[in-house]
Amino acid sequence: MKRFFAVTLGILTAIGGFVDIGDLVANALVGSRFGLSLAWVVVVGVVGICLFAEMAGRVAAVSGRPVFDLVRERLGPRAGLLNLAASFGINLLTLAAEIGGAALALELATGIDYLLWVPAVGLVAWLVMWRVRFETMERVFGLAGLALIVFLVAFFALGPDYGELGHQLTHNPSDDGAATYWFYAVALLGAAMTPYEVFFFSSGGVEERWTRRDLGVMRANVFVGFPLGGLLSIAIAACAATVFLPRMIEVETLGQMVLPAGLAFGQIGLALVIFGVFAATFGATLETALSSGYSISQYFGWQWGKYVRPREAARFHATLLVSTIVAVALILTTIDPIKVTEYSLVFSAAALPLTYLPVLMIANDPDYMGDRVNGRFSNSLGTVYMILLLVVAVAAVPLMLATKAGQ
Amino acid sequence: MRRLLLIGLLLLAGCASPAWNDADYGKKAGATAEAAASSVALVRLAVEHEARLTRPYLQTLLTETVTALGSVDSQFGAVQPPSPEAARVRAEITELTSEAAEQVQVLLNEVRLREIADPEKAAADLAALGDRLRAFAESRPS
Amino acid sequence: MTGRVLHAHLHLLDRQVVAADGRLLCKVDDLEIEPGEVPYVTAILSGPLALGPRVGGVAGRLMTGITRLFRPEEDPAPRRIPMNLVGEIGSAVTVGGDVPEAALERWVREHLIDPLPGSGGAGPGRRGPGPVRRPEVPARDRLSSLVGRRVVDRDGGPVGQVADVQLTQDGPLLGETAQALRLSGLVVVPRHTGQLFGYERGPGGSSPALVRVVIRRLHRGSRFVSWDQVGDPGDPIGLTVPRADLLPLAELLTRGDASASG
Repeated sequence: MKRFFAVTLGILTAIGGFVDIGDLVANALVGSRFGLSLAWVVVVGVVGICLFAEMAGRVAAVSGRPVFDLVRERLGPRAGLLNLAASFGINLLTLAAEIGGAALALELATGIDYLLWVPAVGLVAWLVMWRVRFETMERVFGLAGLALIVFLVAFFALGPDYGELGHQLTHNPSDDGAATYWFYAVALLGAAMTPYEVFFFSSGGVEERWTRRDLGVMRANVFVGFPLGGLLSIAIAACAATVFLPRMIEVETLGQMVLPAGLAFGQIGLALVIFGVFAATFGATLETALSSGYSISQYFGWQWGKYVRPREAARFHATLLVSTIVAVALILTTIDPIKVTEYSLVFSAAALPLTYLPVLMIANDPDYMGDRVNGRFSNSLGTVYMILLLVVAVAAVPLMLATKAGQ
Repeated sequence: MRRLLLIGLLLLAGCASPAWNDADYGKKAGATAEAAASSVALVRLAVEHEARLTRPYLQTLLTETVTALGSVDSQFGAVQPPSPEAARVRAEITELTSEAAEQVQVLLNEVRLREIADPEKAAADLAALGDRLRAFAESRPS
Repeated sequence: MTGRVLHAHLHLLDRQVVAADGRLLCKVDDLEIEPGEVPYVTAILSGPLALGPRVGGVAGRLMTGITRLFRPEEDPAPRRIPMNLVGEIGSAVTVGGDVPEAALERWVREHLIDPLPGSGGAGPGRRGPGPVRRPEVPARDRLSSLVGRRVVDRDGGPVGQVADVQLTQDGPLLGETAQALRLSGLVVVPRHTGQLFGYERGPGGSSPALVRVVIRRLHRGSRFVSWDQVGDPGDPIGLTVPRADLLPLAELLTRGDASASG
């Protein structure tokens, strides 16, 4: 059991990447429009995030330096600041969206308008970051998010047409143009590889005081957490492809996307899935809020982390507090949380190389890594992904413009 | 990055911009009918299984749909149709979507009070309406 | 005995500064140098007043401007950590002794964090010494001011611009045992090609192959100028030798290997 608890950091990180509020709906939307024809993107994303999270985790374990330290050190103060501004902005928007998402889940459970829940969610999230130990936090919300496995079970219970779904793996069932298809491909890849995942994962490793001896634990986190996140993401798409695609329903809201679980298991399924959605979005709230604190503290060299008392990391905790307040205010303006994450995903896809290039460089630097530098396999695959990320970064915004964000 | 955001915002503004010529107008009407048909089909799916779903959930789902369908009216109302033909199209689509909004509103009221009185009839009505919306969408160039 | 050879940008600047007890203090935002016949590094500079000028542009001016506004002194200077406190220079820079805490950290703690319930006690706790202030550090005493400067050879022909500064640990004694990091050379690149990433020097950081090829290609024609080849350390930096006498950077790589093993 203790072993199992050891991988909750990876699970929580992956949940924030693959099944946060924007992705919950985006996965269902993709399933309802394109069937399983984009599942391959999730697989590519899982491999990519495993590769880079492993590098970032290894650097953190060996040298104690989390990702934004590396960004500042390799890119220098100017490009580092550019990355900080972009990442922080994206983080803040995503944080607002996640708070909204957790509130939407509460609305589904209670029928009370989500805006009334928003301040409460913000307050509880801040209290968790203020008082709860990092390990406790990651265990509770990592494990609770696993309730989303109900989508996987629901998929089998719904009696899907396996032949048709198998056919979709290689054939796009939608009659939308290629640009729309590729827009969603970029969005899904961006979701799988969002920079805040590696910020959070590597900083979490430092919070847990990983050393060289913990490289095994670190790898277990990577290779259990992220594939699990990818599996949930495909399960959501598969449910949507089973329930919505044949009826020509395009999923747009959180309320709509949880329906398959309700159809499969009735009220219990519905309760479980809403609980899972709440846990996942609340976990993502913590992940994005902490990431905003981590990235700014690590750029400026401030003391950060929950492993010291709040008063010893005053600027870090002040950042968390202010970000949470700003995010709550932002979502109270009634902007649509789901739209916010969909746009911020595309922008984060454009900023990906600025985060992953320094990780790749430092994972090869014997100054940091000693004999734990990248092997040939990591480097070859890392180079391929660097090229892929550059292509994605260049293509992301033009695709968004050309397809009016996938409409 | 700042410039990109600006472009993004401009684009968002562009999405809501009025359509200018007949072809655009027809296309937009078709897409609207498609979206409305999708909402109606979803409500129908939920109504068919209403016994297995919770009341707060149904309430939230139906409220969402009513709001979405209602926004279609205001969206088309704000655009001046470029020709008499377009005006006819507008009359047709707004009639269909308001009918859909009304039906869902009735269901929502029933759910708020107690439960849906006659789920089978409601599902059948929604199915018929959905077919009309789809037929309308297909008659437009997409 | 030859001292340890470092490159300021590659090994020192922008690294995390850590106290002996593991507390994170600041970044190496800049280095203070003592000019003279044998210039050497005297202190780590940190805080927005050190970082701002390096960032430059609107963001940099904003950073320094706001900080000046909130500082009580007439000529506020960046926070200074003397080099004799510096222990290990690795993936982080470890410093010993009682290092003053950043003013902003203290202010935020006293005015925002301590009043909140559950902050871990608002008692006096460990109250370190206040920041040590001294008059403004002029730009010419900052290592970053060398970077980006044009370099001309003996006949006034352009060589390029400074991209990094080589430091050798064989300068004058600081404190009791540690020797200062002396400025021992300059890495000069022919044009503005952005950051150097260490791929052009070695021996470490030589993979992945594609990244290495791209970066070495960007920086081809880079030269190494040893400090005794510098005649006039002004702006532009004048050399005492013709361009042809300068060592190509690639050769430093093999030389670096030899000194590392020797």
